[in-house]
Amino acid sequence: MGGLAAAPTAAELNVPVAARVVSFLQPAPTGVTTVAILYSPDSPASISEAGTIERAMAGGVSAGRATIRTKRVTADTLGSLAGYRAAFVTAGLKAAYPGIAQAATRASVVTIGSDQSCVQSGGCIVGITGGARVQIIVNRAAARAAKVKFGSAFLMLVKEI
Amino acid sequence: MRVIRTPSLASVLIAGALCCPGAALGQLVDYGALQDAVGEPVTTSVTGKPQRASELPASAVIVTRDQIARSPARDVPGLLKTYTGIDVNRWTAGQSDVAVRGGVQTYNARLLVLVDGRQVYLDHYGMTDWNLLGVQLEEIQQIELVRGPAAALFGFNAAAGVVNIITRRPAGGAYATAAASAGNKGFGRIAASAGTPLTDQLAVKLTAGRLREDERRVPADVLVPGVPDHLTADQVSGELSGRFGGAGVTLQGGYATNRQAEYLPSQLLSNQRFRSGDVQAAYTQDTDWGGLTLGGYVNWLDASYGVQGTNGQDNAALVLNNRIASVRGAGLYRLDANTTVRLGAEYRDNRMRSLSQFSRAIAYGVGSLNAMLDMHPTDDVAVTAAARIDRLALRQSGAVILPTVNRAEEFDRQFTRVSFNAAVLLKAGETGQVRLNGGRGYQLPSLINFGLRVPIAAPTTLPTLIAGRPEIMPSATWSAELAYSRALGGTRVEAGLFWTRVEDAIASPGDGLQDLLELVLTPSPVAVARFLSVGNYTTRGVEASVAGRTLGMGWRANYTFTDTNGDLAGTELPIPAALSPRSTTARHKANLELSRDAGAWYATGVARYTSPTRQFSFTTEPRLRLFHVDEAVALDARIGVRLGRGLEMFAAGENLTGAGGAAGSPIPADTRVRGGLRLAV
Repeated sequence: MGGLAAAPTAAELNVPVAARVVSFLQPAPTGVTTVAILYSPDSPASISEAGTIERAMAGGVSAGRATIRTKRVTADTLGSLAGYRAAFVTAGLKAAYPGIAQAATRASVVTIGSDQSCVQSGGCIVGITGGARVQIIVNRAAARAAKVKFGSAFLMLVKEI
Repeated sequence: MRVIRTPSLASVLIAGALCCPGAALGQLVDYGALQDAVGEPVTTSVTGKPQRASELPASAVIVTRDQIARSPARDVPGLLKTYTGIDVNRWTAGQSDVAVRGGVQTYNARLLVLVDGRQVYLDHYGMTDWNLLGVQLEEIQQIELVRGPAAALFGFNAAAGVVNIITRRPAGGAYATAAASAGNKGFGRIAASAGTPLTDQLAVKLTAGRLREDERRVPADVLVPGVPDHLTADQVSGELSGRFGGAGVTLQGGYATNRQAEYLPSQLLSNQRFRSGDVQAAYTQDTDWGGLTLGGYVNWLDASYGVQGTNGQDNAALVLNNRIASVRGAGLYRLDANTTVRLGAEYRDNRMRSLSQFSRAIAYGVGSLNAMLDMHPTDDVAVTAAARIDRLALRQSGAVILPTVNRAEEFDRQFTRVSFNAAVLLKAGETGQVRLNGGRGYQLPSLINFGLRVPIAAPTTLPTLIAGRPEIMPSATWSAELAYSRALGGTRVEAGLFWTRVEDAIASPGDGLQDLLELVLTPSPVAVARFLSVGNYTTRGVEASVAGRTLGMGWRANYTFTDTNGDLAGTELPIPAALSPRSTTARHKANLELSRDAGAWYATGVARYTSPTRQFSFTTEPRLRLFHVDEAVALDARIGVRLGRGLEMFAAGENLTGAGGAAGSPIPADTRVRGGLRLAV
């Protein structure tokens, strides 16, 4: 994957890994695949992280046979998630996790964030912890509810809760 | 050389593999993509399950594509030689042996080598010809080496370890690499590999390479076969793969030739010529519960041993062809979030044809069942256990070749062996881990060990033959190790203790055959020396390594201490069998690698220390003798500049210090330098 920014801090989403996670969806995405960036216009932290993600993904990022681009979606327009296969969940949306979980289930969208409480609540189907060692966590019940499937080799490398 | 034949059984197996498609488990896995996701290499070579390098229940080395591209090494043994617990002896320009944790010998039969799950270890003699792998460095995704028995997953001959070479897959996107280089000592190499998706489902890959290199200067007191061959090796291979939803299909084929001077297990220097072909078919199915793989392959080999001069096999002392056919299947099931089970089955048929053996065909079939359980009862504990049962049935067929020194019923033989591996991993703090693991594997006697029969010149009044021993037993290897690893910021530290015991080690008859000779009436009396089990030996040692990055410089350092207690057949003249692990295995080895990038430039340097050893060779007397091999400090280096558009110019050298002992061979090492261009797009 090229054109990516420096490694994120522990609190930020690891964008290269998040983009790679999208490529393990089954069936595998091909061609240009647009991923939603869920953010809140009322949260400076959320706006900041959305900008960081956009810069990291500028021009599109190659992951498997897909080229991933991003588009912002506000947390109060979750109904517009339909049509996306994945969404990156920014910081500052804790109060919206239940709604995000419901929207992801309805639209069959994999939601990916860096906040462990987001994964535990089901708001995020996939969590990516930061630090020196990447750990990927998958909420099995949330994935099943959203009918999101990953390749089995990928699932054997993650922690499922 | 004879034209490679396609025997009927092979055709049946190929057809079986295609109708119920066949495969290697690793082909379920996109190694590069998984490495991108978890930030470290991923392998299936330890348990059959994809695992992160830092969480493996065994000691393993994973050499990545990037490391290969930056290394001064020019082949796979050269890439492996700078890691802990590994001895690489480059006996001649073309012949290398890789030994894991002691037991250095020529034609090492205790390391199983695979390319994309297909065995490239040659069963006829129980050895690996690293110039006949059918793979070029430019197409390798990663090289995985597991130290210690891996027989519970891979079966016979993964007794000391396994090397699994994973090649690139073009399904994820088109790629092309090519390299051309030339150097001193007649070195010349060209290689290219390219792959591209044809449609959304199909992808194709083609690879080819040619290598030439002069033999080293042989000491005057070493017995030489006329003029030692210079190394030549050619290879071409192709692959067609498809993905259809959760299913994947791969068809592969290749052809390779190689001629080079080699030390035989008897320690006679000899010219060999090899020609091999292979086909492989694989099917994978990804499911909600795990993965299913089915597959099969057939390898063919024509080999001529003891070729004198340039007249081809007409002058060869031994000509044979070997066919290996294998079909297998495995299922990997995630029982729950913390438990994985793998169940597998394999049938392998292995046949050697020659006029220099008991009858026209010596063969065996091996049926195998294996199972693996991987559990994570808590976040801090992982337990892995694996077992495999192999049952072998030996047979012979065709006209008996006179004079015969065995009875036909001796080849009607079956035996069963059980291999196992077990490991416990405990987390120690945030980034530390303690691993306790062990296992037992078997080295199978080779087809040569079972059924060879060739005349030799010996100081006896009777005609003398070297002959196989159909009743010879497999050699068991027991292993145990305790290791600790920890990440300290960006620095990774590993240290461990290992213990290995080899039972009933198999050796070729050497010198001073008087005690080994049998008198056999054929009806004329002949003297016969046979392959034999020469006893047990134990190795124990310490491995320590540290790697990190400081001030923009990558660095890696390691040290291995190996204590071996076995002289087996002895080292006093006359030496009846060329196997003395205590003499041939270096007690101390250390490596330091530094690498740095500066703009378009990069450089890698490796310093290698090896303590002195003694290595076997026949002398001009002729007499089997141990030659002293000096301790060595060798320096390897590579420097390159990226010219843009994927083009790179590089220069590389091995053993720049000219240390004679750097090869660990009776034939002293020399300095080899080369330069060239490399394209990667």
